[in-house]
Amino acid sequence: MTRLFKDERLGYVASRLLTTVLIVFGAMVLLFALTALVPGDPAKSLLGPQASPELAKRFIAEMGLDQPLHVRLWRFFGAVLTGNLGVDVISGKPVVQLVASVLPYTVILTFSAIGLSVLIGVPLGIHAATHRGSASDTILAFVSVAFIAVPSFVIAIFLLLIFAIWLDWLPVLGTSRSGEFLDEARRMILPTLALAAGWIGFIARLVRSSMLEVLGEPYIRTARAYGLSERLITYKYALKNACIPTIAILGLGIGRLLGGAVLVEIVFARPGLGRLVYEAVSERNFPVVQGAVLVVVVLFVVVNLIVDLSYSAIDPRIRRSSGQGAGA
Amino acid sequence: MAEPLVAIRNLKLEAGTARGRAAILRGIDLEIGRGRILGLVGESGSGKSSLAACLIGLTPANTSAISGEIRFDGQNLVGLDPTAFARLRGRRIAMIFQDPMTALNPLFTIGTHLVDVLRHRDPGLSRAAALSEATAMLVKVGIADPEARIAAYPHQLSGGMRQRVMIAMALLMRPDLLLADEPTTALDATVEAQIVELLAALRREVSGSIVFISHHLGLVAQLCDDVAVMYGGTVVETGPVDAVLTDPRHPYTRALIACEIDEDDAPGGRLLSIPGEVPDPVRPMTGCIFAPRCAHAVETCRSEVPELRTSGDGRRAACLRFEELP
Repeated sequence: MTRLFKDERLGYVASRLLTTVLIVFGAMVLLFALTALVPGDPAKSLLGPQASPELAKRFIAEMGLDQPLHVRLWRFFGAVLTGNLGVDVISGKPVVQLVASVLPYTVILTFSAIGLSVLIGVPLGIHAATHRGSASDTILAFVSVAFIAVPSFVIAIFLLLIFAIWLDWLPVLGTSRSGEFLDEARRMILPTLALAAGWIGFIARLVRSSMLEVLGEPYIRTARAYGLSERLITYKYALKNACIPTIAILGLGIGRLLGGAVLVEIVFARPGLGRLVYEAVSERNFPVVQGAVLVVVVLFVVVNLIVDLSYSAIDPRIRRSSGQGAGA
Repeated sequence: MAEPLVAIRNLKLEAGTARGRAAILRGIDLEIGRGRILGLVGESGSGKSSLAACLIGLTPANTSAISGEIRFDGQNLVGLDPTAFARLRGRRIAMIFQDPMTALNPLFTIGTHLVDVLRHRDPGLSRAAALSEATAMLVKVGIADPEARIAAYPHQLSGGMRQRVMIAMALLMRPDLLLADEPTTALDATVEAQIVELLAALRREVSGSIVFISHHLGLVAQLCDDVAVMYGGTVVETGPVDAVLTDPRHPYTRALIACEIDEDDAPGGRLLSIPGEVPDPVRPMTGCIFAPRCAHAVETCRSEVPELRTSGDGRRAACLRFEELP
């Protein structure tokens, strides 16, 4: 029994790893296609229309753009696998270096925003579910929907106005130049709040509805029939079941924020992956777009792999069905 | 006779529905003797499960009114404070549910289920002690390899096995009152027979009283000491099983027995059924609840509500005419 169990689990992990690798390869092909198939002459658009034909030709040769497609695809794969994401055509810096310089900001901001949303949204959702129909439930529903509906950059602007300008409690813009921890932490507060607001509302709604569904299940009635306390029923028996849809959404949320916090990054004048991609796209700086998007994709896929594995750890039934699927 | 464990007096339960107030229980009078097994039989919608829900204090959310009296060892359960009721549940009253597939939480092992209820009953119990007590009980309910099963999740067990786990859970409580709500209905016929055998064998384990809800008269005859026949939210006949089932007084009990015999004799054949429909709970009761479907109904049956009257041998029937019937 126990042995079989371990095999089921290993099979599940293996199948999820395989899909993860396939997704990353698929993304690499698409990203390659992006630069290869986009109309327009990259030399002209980057060097400007005044560039001499010799210069353009040398540029094309340097970039390897005169090679056939499959050779270029192969070279791209080889380069990526050795950790080389190409060179920024404007600054001449390696893309890896560019991405590495902004990645910590993005990762910290994303995880603190999602972390805050969970810390606030989950208890609010539980409260709303266990006090269904009460005044606090109604108010929460209203506030949650309002937070979800207002775009995060609008919230960002309001937060800036209130806390940084009128009240002057927190630094306005940018990141800490000295790399000082406390200063940086203070500068993180407003962007984190701006990104988290919508997610708090979203998670609160989601936890509320999954809790309500779970609390109506027969096994909860069993727990009640045996006199278990409401606290044990809510926080142990119901919450664990209600967690699964929430965790699935968290995976998507983290992925979304990793590459999509661009407007908030711009409002607060912070560096970040989203902003890097946005600026590279507007400059037709394809190596940077390719490299940065690939990093976003890999992070997204890895986060979702962790999410999948974590809910298979929570729900034993997932291991089983997927394990069978992989074995068949 | 000693004072019964449970004495139910004029218990009424109303629920708000889309069509208006529905009378789910229309004045139940019933006693559950100490150490006795009471079979509760009736068609679906007769109020059997609602009566059990009242006994364990878990009436559905749409309940709008509950009145009358349920004396449990002298204490009235109707209107009992929820925390006081929660203390009774899992200590003095326990319940086995119809569908073992959904009655166990899929994300927790069998061990967690059993340990949690044991430690609710006895907060001083250590986890290890609770586990060993639970393991011993699994053996008693006929589960082979209990150490492996206790670490298993519900989905890894068969339906019959899960119902055994539910029975183990109930027995671990050593309840004074055990409610078994159609514990075999959701199981395959062969598994059903095994569970019935198990319940019969475990009778000695239970010192308290058992309410066995079923729509299957054969099972009730096999397991129970007493029987109460329910129809349309009322008890139409009650008494010792042998007496009631061999010589039923109420026309509904007779019809029910006729259906059952027919079902046993002619498998797959045309089933004998009682003409008419189950009474609509939204409509008020103006006469005998069974009168519209009763072959022996006369004019007074439609205007006068019959009360449970003694019909000899400790039996009672709610029929105005049982003396006159053949």
